[in-house]
Amino acid sequence: MELLDRYLQAVKKHLPWQRQDDIIAELRANLEAQLEDKETELGRPLTKQEAEEWLKQLGSPIQVAARYQRQQYLIGPTLFPTYWYVLKLAFFWLTTVYVVARVITVAAQGSSVEAYAGIALGLPWIWLVNAAIITLIFAAIELSGTQFGGKIAQIPPMGAGWSPLDLPPVGAGDGEDKPWSFAKAIAEVIFGCLFFAWLLLVPHYPFLMFGPGAWYLASLPYTLAHAWWPFYWCMVAINGFELMWKIADLTGGAWHKRKLWRHWAMHLLSLIPLGILLAAPGQQLFLAKNAAANAKALSDANKGLHTALMIAVAVVALQIVWHAGKMAVESYRKRLAA
Amino acid sequence: MGYSMTLTENLFENLRLELRRGCLTLAVLAQLKQEHYGYTLRKALAERGMEIDESTLYPLLRRLEAQGLLTSEWREEEKRNKRFYKLSSDGEQIFARLLEEWNAINTSITNLL
Repeated sequence: MELLDRYLQAVKKHLPWQRQDDIIAELRANLEAQLEDKETELGRPLTKQEAEEWLKQLGSPIQVAARYQRQQYLIGPTLFPTYWYVLKLAFFWLTTVYVVARVITVAAQGSSVEAYAGIALGLPWIWLVNAAIITLIFAAIELSGTQFGGKIAQIPPMGAGWSPLDLPPVGAGDGEDKPWSFAKAIAEVIFGCLFFAWLLLVPHYPFLMFGPGAWYLASLPYTLAHAWWPFYWCMVAINGFELMWKIADLTGGAWHKRKLWRHWAMHLLSLIPLGILLAAPGQQLFLAKNAAANAKALSDANKGLHTALMIAVAVVALQIVWHAGKMAVESYRKRLAA
Repeated sequence: MGYSMTLTENLFENLRLELRRGCLTLAVLAQLKQEHYGYTLRKALAERGMEIDESTLYPLLRRLEAQGLLTSEWREEEKRNKRFYKLSSDGEQIFARLLEEWNAINTSITNLL
């Protein structure tokens, strides 16, 4: 039957090449036997329309051939949770490293809006390449497991070696719902007061910060630039503000509940003193005290500190964005549950 | 209304297929205690109320053979070369264990209903 030959030829095209002749020979024998039965039952050969209907019932050649494929998926259900975990982890770290590295590079070269937009536009490509590489690696692991009968490798959190004892304690994820003891609240205020006093005394008694090294530093031909003073007073204001907030909580009886948003608000405020240092005129945070100062060493120290500050700002900003996102998702989840 | 009916039907169809998938293997192994080639096996199963599409049964036979549960040989019958399948010794053991499992599930479900 010509239509059956055409059908089998079309199926063959989509079969794995090593087994296609064998599969087609078997399929032909089965279908011809079925055709014979049909024709015996009818007492005549099938009409073209009947033959067409019959072959359509069997399924399209691509569908029929696909059933003979050993593996119909790239990553199977056993490996998929590990794959998804690795993909999420890689996305997070790759995005963090890429954004921090690119922001620092762009800022060092003289920032422009186009350069920052370029960073954002580059992200989808980074994600795409990252996803493609990880998918290919896991597809290869899956293939080796199914083709060669090997055991599919698993990463510790999902593997057989995990233990309930390794799981984080309840509430360790955010800490907001965890009640704060009165003793801890008192200790926080006492140490806060001590730290605040120390902060106020440091400019007058540098040895409180540097120990005996303070006398050595004073002998160097370098001094701090003026920008350190607004930085210092800003730090004093932020710490004083936080301390007063804690004292108000303690006296007002609100000490038992920690507020996560306040913690991140303080983080946000910490960007202000860092910004003051970054905006120092000529990026000069150390100045020459006298002619004995080494101009190159001074320039290197200023550049080094400026870069370190930019990294610190980028890290703090990313932490804030990350936790703000987490808090937004959590609050949305709570609203949905309510 | 029509849309939700389609959803319900789709859901039922997916669950039905899932339920049948494991049963088909058991039915095929049971029937291959006697030697069969693809088409006669399909007919024998259909006569006992277990209809299976060609596109499901024939690849399933290959998979079960690759897993060592079936043996096969090409032989001429009625002037046509056909591939005959039979349960292997490993297949017999696995079939006996699967049957036990099936009976246990069947009893549990009957008790639950």
